[in-house]
Amino acid sequence: MLKFYVGKFLQYFLVIVLMLTLNFLLPRLMPGNPLVFLAGEDVGFMTSEEKNEILDKHGLNDSIPQQYISYIKNIVTGDFGYSYQQKRSIADLLKERMPWTLLLAGLGLVISTIIGVMFGALSAWRRGSSTDANLLTMFMFLSAMPSFWIGMILVSIFSAQLGLFPVFGAESGWSNLTGMDRFFDILRHLVLPLTTLVLISVTNTFMIMRYSMLNVLGEDYIMMAKAKGVRDRVIKYKHAMRNALLPVATVFMLSLGFMLGGATVIETVFAYPGVGRLMFESVVSRDYPLIQATFLIITFSVVIANLLADILYPFIDPKVGGQREK
Amino acid sequence: MKSNRWGYYWKTLSSSKLGLFGLSILCLFLIIALFAPLLAPFNPMERVGQPFGEPSSTFLLGTNDVGQDILSELIYGSRISLMIGVIAALISIVLGIIVGIVAGYYGGKVDNFLMRVVDLVLVVPFLPLMILLAAFIGPSFWNIILVISLISWASPARVIRSQVLNLKTKGYVEAAKSIGTKASTIMLKHIMPGVIPIALSQFVMAASSAILIEASLSFLGLGDPFVKSWGTILYYAQARGAFLTEAWLWWVLPPGLLITTLVIGFAFTGYSLEEIMNPRLRKER
Repeated sequence: MLKFYVGKFLQYFLVIVLMLTLNFLLPRLMPGNPLVFLAGEDVGFMTSEEKNEILDKHGLNDSIPQQYISYIKNIVTGDFGYSYQQKRSIADLLKERMPWTLLLAGLGLVISTIIGVMFGALSAWRRGSSTDANLLTMFMFLSAMPSFWIGMILVSIFSAQLGLFPVFGAESGWSNLTGMDRFFDILRHLVLPLTTLVLISVTNTFMIMRYSMLNVLGEDYIMMAKAKGVRDRVIKYKHAMRNALLPVATVFMLSLGFMLGGATVIETVFAYPGVGRLMFESVVSRDYPLIQATFLIITFSVVIANLLADILYPFIDPKVGGQREK
Repeated sequence: MKSNRWGYYWKTLSSSKLGLFGLSILCLFLIIALFAPLLAPFNPMERVGQPFGEPSSTFLLGTNDVGQDILSELIYGSRISLMIGVIAALISIVLGIIVGIVAGYYGGKVDNFLMRVVDLVLVVPFLPLMILLAAFIGPSFWNIILVISLISWASPARVIRSQVLNLKTKGYVEAAKSIGTKASTIMLKHIMPGVIPIALSQFVMAASSAILIEASLSFLGLGDPFVKSWGTILYYAQARGAFLTEAWLWWVLPPGLLITTLVIGFAFTGYSLEEIMNPRLRKER
């Protein structure tokens, strides 16, 4: 058991180290002046003395191992550098944007899991029927649609044509709303991006739940319950669904990575001020330190989610805990 | 024997409605892509009308912000989306086959190491990683393919490895080993043919996800600025605010529908191929 955790922990640690190293090497290995990537200065207009001064300031005249150590030190202490485009400390920017992404991805995760589970169970319960076939087809089509396009279409219909929801942003900044009014304002802004995120991620849960429910429905104890004359509703909800939920629970946390990736694109469509939108802004303005920082913060979140999933898994599934004990 | 096997695949594939539907979609898009110059009414790179033109008898789907014909853009765009999807999927599958066969055949430390690498690649959120790489190496046709295939090989590698583990215990492989056949020959001549069918279904799946990823990258402005894919068309539609006006009907809706249809074409073909490879799945459906 302990060995399992140590192995997992080492693996995630390695992911972080590798991604940090990749981030360290990218600006230094790419052709062209690393100054452009690291400092974002207008290199072309500088004298060599000025360039040297900046190189010194960023420690670029040090040896590569020295640079690497100070790079890691900075990241560990939460110093992600300075964004020359936004004229602000990157750590501050991330602190400001992260809550919005967590709100979007977190709610998206919960809602898409609930919907996926309900429909997955229904589909398996009515296996082979037209309901099953229709649900399968619908969810397969959903997963084939580009996420940003779903967002654009929703905005076109519900915001531009029908005027039901705001077109962009996370809240109406100029209105100085407080209390419940602000809450509902944020909610109104959240509806469309959240719907988009749920639509693109629900298929995964649906497929897993359907498959797992099909397996459970084939078990002897379901047969037994049916033979005893237990009502269908009770079999479905109490006997089958509860047991079929296990695989869904294991992918719950893992889906967070997918959510955060999906949020990058969706936040762009809705100009939603999260980390994903920040990544897009930094790509557009070629703000390389900021691109790297947003990538790192998303990767950290995903690794933490994975780690949590691994730690929680034996508690959810007693079978696994027991097997590993042996 | 060999032709019999392929004949069997074809029979199963064509007897599945899903597979036949998927294949017809793919053929349709292939024809559109091949005969784009004949089908498209205009050169998609040329300004042929008023900017932001509404659909008319000349421009069936209107014109974009610089007066290029949107229908022609869409027809030519099928070339880019198909090519990027297929080439990126091909590279990922070749990488996946190599890693999968080597890991599965040698086992032990080699297997352990390669599968750890696969785990690493699968943990990192792929879209942000691709954005990071694409931003640094710069937007171009081949760079997009490189970025997609650098990350998409991992999951097929794992599937192919488990197939190899299965094949390794087969009599003919054991026999080849016992008479001292070189490892490289066994892998190429005896194991490779056995993984091709499963690699084929993995290839089709990889192509469908590569097309979606390409669309996302292009939409974020990381596409090749000199070629126009469906994702690029949507990027400009977004940048010019087309989705806030009436223009969403002819500028935003069609490219997305085409992406969805093409992805569905690949996915349906892939699902029915998978059913052929995995008879257990067939019974359960």
